[in-house]
Amino acid sequence: MQRFLNPSVLAEISSLDLIAKIVVDGFVAGLHRSPDFGFSQEFAEYRAYTPGDDLRHVDWNVFARTERAYLKRYRGETNSLLTVLLDASNSMNYTSHKITKMDYARFAAASLFYLAIHNQRDAAGLIVFDDEVRNYIRPSTRQGQINRLLHGLDLAEPRARTDFAKPLHHFQEFLRRRGIVLMISDFYETPERIIRTIEPLRFHGNEIVLFHVLDPREIKPDLDGPAILVDLETNDHLEVTPEYARDEYPQKIQGHIAALREAAQGAGMDYFLLQTDQPLDAALREYLTIRQGRN
Amino acid sequence: MGFLSPWFLAGAAAVGLPLYLHLLRRHTTTPHPFSSLMFFEHRTQSSIRHRKLRYLLLLSLRLALLILLALAFANPYLKRTAVSASGDKLMLIVVDNSFSMRAGTRLADAKKQAENLLSSRAPSRRAQVAELGSQLHVLTQPVQDPASLRSAVESIQAGDARGSFGELARAVGSMEDSAHVPIEVHLFSDMQRSDMPASFAEMALPPNVSLVLHAVGNKAEPNWAVESVNAPSRVWDPKKARVTAVIAGYQTPAATRTASLVVNGKTIDSKKVNVPANGRATVEFQSLDVPYGLSRCEIQIDSGDALAADDRYLFAVERSDPQHVLFVHEARDSRSPLFFGSALASSAEASFALESVPAERVAGLDPSKYAFVVLSDAASLPSQFENDLQQYVRRGAGVLVAVGTSSAHRAKVPVFGADIMGAHSYLEDSARYLTVGEADSSYPAMAGGQGWAGVRFYYAVAVDPADSRVVAKLSDQTPLLLEKKMGEGRVLLFASGLDNLTNDFPSGPLFVPFVKQTARYLSGTQDRNGSRIVDSFLELRTAKDQAVSVEVIDPAGRRPLSIEQATTAQSFQLTDAGFYEVRLANGRHDLVGVNADRRESNLEPISDDVLALWRGAGNSNGQQAAAAGAAAESEPAKPSSIWWYAMLLVLVAALAESFVAARYLTAQAEES
Repeated sequence: MQRFLNPSVLAEISSLDLIAKIVVDGFVAGLHRSPDFGFSQEFAEYRAYTPGDDLRHVDWNVFARTERAYLKRYRGETNSLLTVLLDASNSMNYTSHKITKMDYARFAAASLFYLAIHNQRDAAGLIVFDDEVRNYIRPSTRQGQINRLLHGLDLAEPRARTDFAKPLHHFQEFLRRRGIVLMISDFYETPERIIRTIEPLRFHGNEIVLFHVLDPREIKPDLDGPAILVDLETNDHLEVTPEYARDEYPQKIQGHIAALREAAQGAGMDYFLLQTDQPLDAALREYLTIRQGRN
Repeated sequence: MGFLSPWFLAGAAAVGLPLYLHLLRRHTTTPHPFSSLMFFEHRTQSSIRHRKLRYLLLLSLRLALLILLALAFANPYLKRTAVSASGDKLMLIVVDNSFSMRAGTRLADAKKQAENLLSSRAPSRRAQVAELGSQLHVLTQPVQDPASLRSAVESIQAGDARGSFGELARAVGSMEDSAHVPIEVHLFSDMQRSDMPASFAEMALPPNVSLVLHAVGNKAEPNWAVESVNAPSRVWDPKKARVTAVIAGYQTPAATRTASLVVNGKTIDSKKVNVPANGRATVEFQSLDVPYGLSRCEIQIDSGDALAADDRYLFAVERSDPQHVLFVHEARDSRSPLFFGSALASSAEASFALESVPAERVAGLDPSKYAFVVLSDAASLPSQFENDLQQYVRRGAGVLVAVGTSSAHRAKVPVFGADIMGAHSYLEDSARYLTVGEADSSYPAMAGGQGWAGVRFYYAVAVDPADSRVVAKLSDQTPLLLEKKMGEGRVLLFASGLDNLTNDFPSGPLFVPFVKQTARYLSGTQDRNGSRIVDSFLELRTAKDQAVSVEVIDPAGRRPLSIEQATTAQSFQLTDAGFYEVRLANGRHDLVGVNADRRESNLEPISDDVLALWRGAGNSNGQQAAAAGAAAESEPAKPSSIWWYAMLLVLVAALAESFVAARYLTAQAEES
């Protein structure tokens, strides 16, 4: 199973549905099929009954066996609403190996959709954007929703450039119900601007998670000699020396990642860095583990 | 340095092509897409510097490739002197040390000239030293070391052999075949005419060999020599022995010379002899008073010429009691022992005593006591005696059988064993006699005289030759003289009588030499010769004497045969003039006087036009090479093409360019 979770192997599978199933099954297998993890409100613990507690929460089965009253505690009572904001700008088309950042983002989104709909019966929706909203699939639990979402991911080909500010008001229109918002992007923007743009969504009571997708060569470029680099979004040309790429650039990108993580956490958002050479299930497990621990 | 095809240098203009391409390439860069340049900064200067370095290496290789290619096609050459141009040519120094080089200072002059040539030789040039006698003896390997070459030249001593330019050509041809390098032969010789082979073609050198002649003593000096000596090798009566010597003069005026007979170092007789101008004279000594045993004899003359070594002629003589010869005949036959005995006794050097015995009285005789046996028309022989004779022959002895009228009725020839098919009496024919139709003059018994056709044969017995050798036949093809090998010995069959009834042979002039040669042949003394020529071979053993040790002591007192050779060698080459002491395998001691070939005494040189022809046959560059040896610095330079080296550099540059370009392209592919 682990072999199929390798991003390079997943890239050779054309069906997003199958990819999502493989990733989620692998991920669930890694969690020993624990039913206590997921997006919806779940059983948390037993607590001894104290006077004044609602008797509806007493677990009478336990009382019958032990003659002691315990309350059954839950973390939530209703289904969650999952919305994925997917950056489809041109920079997401970069890759240094078999799988592009866009593909990796699509695999991740598809896996999350599969997990939410098939495993948790949650509603899930998708917003594809670059410098504007290119596709919107309303969150739903209707029959065939997973297929609509996966089709939307299929259509999400990178183009244009990223602009978080412009499609923001559309986000606010679409995200009226409270839920979980996952933004998947390479976040080539200053952390302040990113947080300032996304922060209003938080005010609606949404739980916001930033998935920062980067290629390993974006973190640590490997240039044999001087080279002219072309910006995939702006088409700007720049002559770069290997010394700069080796010494200065890694410091700058690491500083950007650290600043974005700090700014996100400061604004009450979750931040996860996804490198396209890492297995998808590991990335998802990290996210879900952290989220479960926080709740 | 120059160019044989300079217009090809125009091709060097093609260097503009890589220059143009590399200039274009400087402005052409394949861009690399990247997700965002947000965190990159512009760095130009370092980039260009790196690219220049990499391009310059490739550019310089490409420029070198094109320039070298143009150079190679322009066919460059270097002007080199003949000496440097012939760096791979082997210099073969040949010093003639034949007998004639003993005249005056010829050998010393030749060695001095050879050393001068070695001194003027380019140090890097390989040379080899050889001496020429009857054969070419190589003294060194092809080396550059002047010391070893010089010492080899200094070590050359005068020899006694006859020089052979034909052998020189053959040996040099073999060297050229095996070494596969051009050879420049420098011959230091007196260019003696007698050293030439019978055919000039045998002197021709291969095309790859050049010949440079260095003549020494190149003029016809007068020289007297003892050309030959005729003396018996065995003497039993000194009074009857005669010694005849021929005194020859080459390019000499008429003069009177004193010839002396010296025996064991003591002059026992001297005679004055008038030698005509450029001619020969014979001097005869009437007796040869030598003691019993082997004596060292020589004929000396007082010549006073430059070549003193040929003023004496050595020969060995053995004095002994006469050997007995058994002559078996019919009792009524008194003629044949008379004729045979007289002929045997008339030979001055014959040391045989004839013992004639009638056939009916031979019973009980031991043939082994006799030097050889003659059966003259014996009608019947005791079977025991005949068996003894056959054993006697098988042990190596000789028997002469003559079949005349008495033995014609026998079925087989005694001892010889051939079938008698009949008898022919030619007196009844119209011609009344027959003569010898065919005769093998190389046969020893027939070598003594000419005119066999004049001998009349009235009667002959026809025998079946079977496996015997027919030496002579009558004109009707009847075998007359036959030889048959039996064991180690031999039997001669004369198909007629030894009297003067069946033929007139005994009363003719040929009978004495026939008897003399036959006696020497059958007794085994024919092989003995008191004097030999240098480089002739001495028979050391016969087939029955295998594995028996022999001993040879040369004139210098050394034993030239190793222990192994002493037990296995069949013959020995007499390489030096002087007396050789020999103990043969049959136990007999012998003494041999060895003299140089008297053709060496004629110091007349080869004419200049023949020498020029020989040089031309070797190599047309011979004279030029000679001058190079004498004055290398003054030699005009000649062009030597070096295009091959240029092509080699082109290949190296092409390989390097491919390697560097492949690496560059690989890096480009990875970057893109």
